[in-house]
Amino acid sequence: MAEIRPYWALAAAAALGFRVLLLILFPGDLHLGSRPEVATPLTSLRRLSEGYWLKQSSMSPYAGSMYHGSPLLLPILGPLTAERTDGQPAHFYCSLLFVVVDFVTAMLIRATGQKLLLSRRQSLEYLNLPKLVKNSANINAGDLASLIYLWNPLTIVTCLGLCSSPIDNLMVVLTIYAACSRLAPLAAFGYVLATHLSLYPAILILPVILLLGYGPDAPPAKLFLHKSSNSDGKDPSNNDESRSAVTTHKPVRCFSRRPVVHFMIWVSIWSCYVLFLCSIYLKGLGGLQEMFKKTYGFILTVGDLSPNIGVLWYFFAEVFEFFRNFFLIVFHVNILFMILPLAIRLKHRPCFLAFVYTAISAMLKSYPSVGDSALYLGLLGLFANELADMQFSFFLFFGYIGVSLLSPVMHNLWIWRGTGNANFYFATGLVYSCLQTVLIVESVSTMLKHDRMLRKHVIA
Amino acid sequence: MAGERGEEGGEEGDPNLKKRAHAARSRLIVRLGAFLVSHSALVSVVCCVAGFITLFLLPVLAKHTYISENALMPGSANPLFSSQDVNEANRFIKGIIHKRIEKEEAGIELQKFIGQSIADVGAEVHYHKFSPHTNHFNPLHFFSSTSNTARIDTNNSCASFGVNTVGIIRAPRGDGKEAIVLVSPYNSQNMEYNEALSLGLAFSVFSLLSKVTWLAKDIVWLAADSRFGEYNSVSSWLNDYHNPIFSRDSGNLDSISNDCHHWNEIRIQGANSNFFKRAGTMAAALVFKVMEKKEKGDRDCLTMYAEASNGQMPNLDLLNIVHYLAVHRQGLRVKIETMGSLLNSAWVKFTGEILEGVSRLSKSLNPQWKFDVTTADYVEGAATLASSMYYQALGVPTGSHGAFRDYQIDAVTLEFLPRFYLRNENAQSTFLLRSGRLIEGVVRSVNNLLEKFHQSFFLYFLTAPNKFVSVGVYMIAFALLVAPLPIVAAALFARAKANEITTDDCAEKCTPIDTKESEIATGSWKWLQAAKVLLMIHSWAVIVSLLPYYISHMINLNSTMSMLTWVSLSISTLPFLYALFGSPFSLNVEWELLKAVMVATISIGLGLMSIINFSTAQIGAMLLVPMSLLVHPLKAKMNVNALLRAALLTCNIAFAFLGFPPVALLVAKGLSEGFGKLSIGDFWEWMEFLWEWNSATYLYLLWVQLPCWLLCIHILLHPCSRGDSRHKQ
Repeated sequence: MAEIRPYWALAAAAALGFRVLLLILFPGDLHLGSRPEVATPLTSLRRLSEGYWLKQSSMSPYAGSMYHGSPLLLPILGPLTAERTDGQPAHFYCSLLFVVVDFVTAMLIRATGQKLLLSRRQSLEYLNLPKLVKNSANINAGDLASLIYLWNPLTIVTCLGLCSSPIDNLMVVLTIYAACSRLAPLAAFGYVLATHLSLYPAILILPVILLLGYGPDAPPAKLFLHKSSNSDGKDPSNNDESRSAVTTHKPVRCFSRRPVVHFMIWVSIWSCYVLFLCSIYLKGLGGLQEMFKKTYGFILTVGDLSPNIGVLWYFFAEVFEFFRNFFLIVFHVNILFMILPLAIRLKHRPCFLAFVYTAISAMLKSYPSVGDSALYLGLLGLFANELADMQFSFFLFFGYIGVSLLSPVMHNLWIWRGTGNANFYFATGLVYSCLQTVLIVESVSTMLKHDRMLRKHVIA
Repeated sequence: MAGERGEEGGEEGDPNLKKRAHAARSRLIVRLGAFLVSHSALVSVVCCVAGFITLFLLPVLAKHTYISENALMPGSANPLFSSQDVNEANRFIKGIIHKRIEKEEAGIELQKFIGQSIADVGAEVHYHKFSPHTNHFNPLHFFSSTSNTARIDTNNSCASFGVNTVGIIRAPRGDGKEAIVLVSPYNSQNMEYNEALSLGLAFSVFSLLSKVTWLAKDIVWLAADSRFGEYNSVSSWLNDYHNPIFSRDSGNLDSISNDCHHWNEIRIQGANSNFFKRAGTMAAALVFKVMEKKEKGDRDCLTMYAEASNGQMPNLDLLNIVHYLAVHRQGLRVKIETMGSLLNSAWVKFTGEILEGVSRLSKSLNPQWKFDVTTADYVEGAATLASSMYYQALGVPTGSHGAFRDYQIDAVTLEFLPRFYLRNENAQSTFLLRSGRLIEGVVRSVNNLLEKFHQSFFLYFLTAPNKFVSVGVYMIAFALLVAPLPIVAAALFARAKANEITTDDCAEKCTPIDTKESEIATGSWKWLQAAKVLLMIHSWAVIVSLLPYYISHMINLNSTMSMLTWVSLSISTLPFLYALFGSPFSLNVEWELLKAVMVATISIGLGLMSIINFSTAQIGAMLLVPMSLLVHPLKAKMNVNALLRAALLTCNIAFAFLGFPPVALLVAKGLSEGFGKLSIGDFWEWMEFLWEWNSATYLYLLWVQLPCWLLCIHILLHPCSRGDSRHKQ
């Protein structure tokens, strides 16, 4: 555990310094904001400044199908995009803000990791598996995950790429962190805002409730039952340590309703508040109805078919008009279908469940960007101890590198050179989805294998 | 390669068994993968050999070209270009020669004369002023896709700008949305007779087109002033065409041009002629030049040049119609570039003879098989293919048509070589008639187009003017070469993992590995150490690739000195990075993992490059793939006999020597031009040439080839201490 810690502050500072350095060295040269991989119609800051301008001239920010984000972002980020002060390039302060946002996200991931580590150690000690505890102490998952998040090239590109994804990611991480620490009001705040900003985090409701109800990740409840029945039945003659562990940390794996009810109340309070703010901001400009139509409606009906790294744009560009609604339902239900089975199977590991949900929605959402990948890859680091035996890690690593290099080249070949076509770019999107699928499948199966291994150790 | 097979077969028994036991209950695709991985040595030998054989078979596999777009209909109408137009051309040529003689120190007299002639025909005319700009090293150019904003150098003196003359015919049947461009480059300062001839040819075609009624696309004639190079004038005209300067900037332009009195002269002469005029999207462009012939031939000759920057080619249909009209209508002989040294090469001839033998054998077996190869055909095809690949791989355009491709316009350069000496009046007239009819035919064909060229191939190699190898065929050779890379990477990775598992128990008891290493090196994430080395070496390569930018800003360095500075700076940055990340030897990375990681990056790098510029990737793969597959530490033990071991070592050392980009270049140059003239600065000059043209080949050499070579050297010199201790345990 002591291995990363001394370097953590240095590495994190270096990551932030690197961002600022890039920001100063290449003020306008990188054109990341116009890359389809980085900025989607939902998150692009160029669209946001257009919406802000429309609002300033007393028009609905949603006029003309340019802006599709939340109205709350306009008064916060809008002034930063519009002003060009003291010779700094446009969006300079916005990017600086995103650097800070990234840092906060990393800190929250780190804190979550420490919570998870604590709970893991407690449960392993309770299960009397000192060997595993010793092994796992080698990696401080929180530090590792936060560094992965900060140094991930995809995060850096997202941070400098003039899109609002860092804020979306911050809200998701905030939700998970607060749920881990059982802070119902904060969790509700993060959850409501994350849902408000990008809709898909709505499916995180299950892991959040599980986290609030059961507490952070632990081995399956059956093991605890087995253990306690064992220790009740025949006295463990050899191990005094375990007995002390039993007495100090009672296995509290029963569902506690109070925080969940609190959470629900707070969710309703926060969502009323957010809607109230929105309606004030949009008063006389179409109101909430317009907002729902232009944000959630836009997400759900896949109105913008400009290419991105997902697979939906290509499909809906090809599909016949009268099948469109059917397939829209099919694709969105696809995400919903996976929620329940996963929740049942992984209910003892709600944090991991949240990671799986974010990965699935990043793969199947209508306007995916690399910012979503940055989020779930950062969360993946939290489970470094459990996923140490993951298969295909080598393949996945090089696959991600290959796809992230290939995608701009294919785009260039299609749009700028004209020798390629849409299929070229779509092919990289397909490969990317396959990689994500492999990542999800492998991580879930490794996690289940890990649980099985624990069970073997406990029963043996 | 055989050595590797033996060596791997010896060591691989244990993981194989394990894998098979595991595979029995896994899915079919996993089992297939496992099977391939466990026989990786055999697979890689077979694939590599097959890849090389397919490459040598490409000239045989070439197909005849055909016109794919039906709308083109080449040669369906009778040419209107008649002897009257030839007379017009002759008159124009005389006029222009007269102007040249009249005013020895020519300002812009020629441009004015051309402009006047265009105006007389009844077309619009304008003059395009441009200043030469030197190409700058811009390493980010490929990805940033910046639109070239107009650069205006304020310190230009009067003498250093060129003036292009542009004539535009508005199509009577068009809507002004599309245009066909004719380009005839000439040197306004020192005009040769052949340039006058090409101007005359262009003018006569232009004046004919101004009279015809069938025109549906506007015609733009660019008389490009090539005093700063043909490419330069055309590309700056295209840049201004596609990036309009708005009023705020144009005031600036005026202030510069005001002090030039030549420019003012033109301005007075034509009311509107200094406005930049445009004529819609360009459908196609023809660049034509007339060359002076040195020796006599039996027919007029036409050479086509098509390669644009980074190996891009115009649509094959454009070449097809030129070829079809030239051969079947005008009776010209069409040629494309060939690599002369291969025409007389003994081993190409030998390969051709073998193939001819095979074809005779196959014919005797079954006369229905259409496998007809003659040695002469094969040698010709191979030489043409080689030059086609070479120019594509270089990534530098072969003429001013390359400037058009940057704007997605299909363009080709036609170089006419008349049969007789140019001054012969009669021969000149028949020559003008033929070439004028050819150009008219091509323009008429393109005029028929309804959409932009898209029907035929963009990705192809030519093996003869009427034979091509399409992407579907030539990809096979490359795919076969690259296919073993991921398999070998997986095999090496699996082997390193198996080693880990077998020695895990001992490691726990006897060798306490220091904690820092075991922190990351647990489980399946052990390869992260190797990835760290990889990251370090690639960041070194990026630094090395950026160094020339600073070196080129230093004053008074000749190429040898620059090269030496570059090399010494590059070498001295390496220890810094070692200090920062830890050197690969101190990190104690197993060589199998290092090799697995290297092979994986090579496959990514080659795959990427094959999309950016296929030929570079193909040529690079021929060197890089055997090098990376064969590499093996010199100190490692091998369970093979001495002969194989010696062969493997020699191959390793030879490839380690040849894989270094400067050495590879110098050897290639030495082989083609003799080893006497070589100097260290050659590589620098070559690199300068590449980055001036923004060739992706430069990035390939420094971001893929160089780091992989360095990794290979690391693997060769790997101490192998851990591996040995493992074996003992």
